[in-house]
Amino acid sequence: MTSGGKELAGIFLFVALVAGIPLATDSGVILNFVMMALYAALLAQAWNILGGFGGQFSFGHALFFGTGAYIQAIAQLQGGLNAWLALFMAVAGSAGVGALVGALSFRYGLKGSYFALVTLAFAEVFRILALSVPFTGAGVGLMLPLHESFANMQFGSRKGYVYLVLAFVAAALLLTWWLKHSRFGAYLQAVRDNEDAARAIGVNPFGVKLGAIVLSGGLMGAGGAFYVQVFQYIDPGIAYGPGTSVEALVAAIVGGMGTLWGPVLGALVLHVLADLTRNLFGQLPGINMVIYGMVLVLIVMFLPRGIAGLGATAKSLWKKSGGRRG
Amino acid sequence: MSTRRHFMSQSAAAASAMAFPLVGGAQPRTIKVGVLHPVTGALAYSGQQCRVGALMAIEDINKAGGIKSMGGANIEALLGDAQSQPQAGAAEIEKMNEAGVSAVVGAFASAICLATTQAAAKYNLPHVVDVGVADQIMERGLKNTFRFGPGYRKCAEAAVANLHVLNMAAGKPARTVMIVHEESLFGTGTANLLARELPGYGYEVKEVIKHANPTRDFNNIVLRMKAVNPDIVIPANYYNEYALLVRTMQQQKISPKAIYSVLGGAASSYKFVKEFPDAANGIIDCNHWFNPKDKRSAELKKRVEAKGLFFSYEVFMTYTAMRLLADAIERAKSSDRAAIIDALEKSTFADHIMPYGATKFVNGQNTGAQPLMTQVVKNDIKVIIPREYRETDPVFPLRA
Repeated sequence: MTSGGKELAGIFLFVALVAGIPLATDSGVILNFVMMALYAALLAQAWNILGGFGGQFSFGHALFFGTGAYIQAIAQLQGGLNAWLALFMAVAGSAGVGALVGALSFRYGLKGSYFALVTLAFAEVFRILALSVPFTGAGVGLMLPLHESFANMQFGSRKGYVYLVLAFVAAALLLTWWLKHSRFGAYLQAVRDNEDAARAIGVNPFGVKLGAIVLSGGLMGAGGAFYVQVFQYIDPGIAYGPGTSVEALVAAIVGGMGTLWGPVLGALVLHVLADLTRNLFGQLPGINMVIYGMVLVLIVMFLPRGIAGLGATAKSLWKKSGGRRG
Repeated sequence: MSTRRHFMSQSAAAASAMAFPLVGGAQPRTIKVGVLHPVTGALAYSGQQCRVGALMAIEDINKAGGIKSMGGANIEALLGDAQSQPQAGAAEIEKMNEAGVSAVVGAFASAICLATTQAAAKYNLPHVVDVGVADQIMERGLKNTFRFGPGYRKCAEAAVANLHVLNMAAGKPARTVMIVHEESLFGTGTANLLARELPGYGYEVKEVIKHANPTRDFNNIVLRMKAVNPDIVIPANYYNEYALLVRTMQQQKISPKAIYSVLGGAASSYKFVKEFPDAANGIIDCNHWFNPKDKRSAELKKRVEAKGLFFSYEVFMTYTAMRLLADAIERAKSSDRAAIIDALEKSTFADHIMPYGATKFVNGQNTGAQPLMTQVVKNDIKVIIPREYRETDPVFPLRA
């Protein structure tokens, strides 16, 4: 089997294994953990497409998350649309916002820290807009009425949400797999590694980066729509605040940028770590966050390629030590 | 040999017969109750104050003999941290449900309460909302959700009606209003209600300004206030921003006829009065407040202060919410969730320090819940309205 085939088989195996969890347990704690870890993996995978494969570090991915969340809520509350139809609108709308931000940023050649700052600024602008305009509910936010049914994409048990977010993560993994093996993906990685060299061989960096931000924005929008369906409430702080942006990029960086499994691993490890520290030190408020932060620093320091690159990091360390002995 | 075996078996049986009641019958059972607050993150101070209130109530209930209808069963707190995020609050509910709690008290912030009450509803887990003032919490028809205190609609309506009473009694010196509020659910919701209600009483709302959380410089807002020159300034924000706004007004020598707060974060806070007595002097607030005529209020305040803490609204609101729950468990005679919900629905709990009278829940909201009007007078916070709880006469307007 080719490496691409093995990866594809891995994705199907992963989906099958995770899909089995709701069949094996009714534990709300386990199902909630799986749901939130998959949700974090979705956000991280969305960021990874632009940041990991495209090399465009965004600090404001909440922009797409919030847009997806608001479209999901507004389409149902004010448009009277079905939740599933709203989901398509949320994904398309946040992909559209991605296209807009990408067109403006890449047209003027913004990269590196400038691009990061622009995305951060866009998210903040949208947060302030959401606080000001009436159709977002301003500071009061929007709340979906509770009507549990499949048609409303509201499930009585966490199991329904696990399957929903698993479908999103599977789509994100397949998209990432396609990026790794497609011509477009090769162009994107070429632009990441050396934009001038890529242009010299005929790649259109603007179009490629624009494509990446549209894909990334669309996935992030799906994350926002999912959040609204689960928690049925959104306000400007939740939608466009920096928390979601940080959650998406930290999981991708810790797990391994530009890899297929890195964001999933990162999300899983961070969630296990957060839960462990909270359970062990829950009686001492704040201590869990200190330990969580310390472990995060250690991972970033000693695993520069992320968890997915653990093998490669170990191999290079082994070679280095062998070289010194030789 | 046979005698020895017989003796041993007899002794073991006697010992087990003597020991069994200790572990089975005589030993009081414990009833697990979830205490869920945002003790880390942006709302950590308020969350920790809430936790103190809940734990003090549990300590008092257990010291007084526990749940008597269940053989003196003790209440055992299962602590949860919502980390100032709705999703973390909902995750804690899942854990508490599996740990077998009979009910939950929490979760301070409105946005968190929206998530936790809904998560608890899936398991028919009774959830007593301790503070969460957003009316949306109670408007979703969740059978498991009960709020002992008032929502912001009730507070805003009471504030406007009382302002009008004060103004009319003083000869209508105030006609214009400026509202300064924080940007989230609580501040915006309150400001919207005020802006809608005030014109009906003949007041002109000259400006509504919202600010971010946190805001560390109020100079521009206060400069605008100077230009607008309202008779009354109404702040609706959290402690830090409230304190900073009022201090900046003091620095820029802005002295309206009244600073009249609705659920003001610092207006009826002993911390603020102690730290900034000059800025706090004369401020009127419509807020959660205890019955000052009830001696138990002063005793509880003393105990909280003995711990080196301020007797803030978070403490007494959560303290009373926990006592309400204990009363329901007492009447339910069971730790069964459905029985507790039933007992809460029928609650007439009146043995408390809040000015609510006998409890009566309609769709989960305590209809007797009301805010009190307080004013900072001589470095202390005194109730001015309603008359039955009045400790001092109101000073309105502060300047002619």
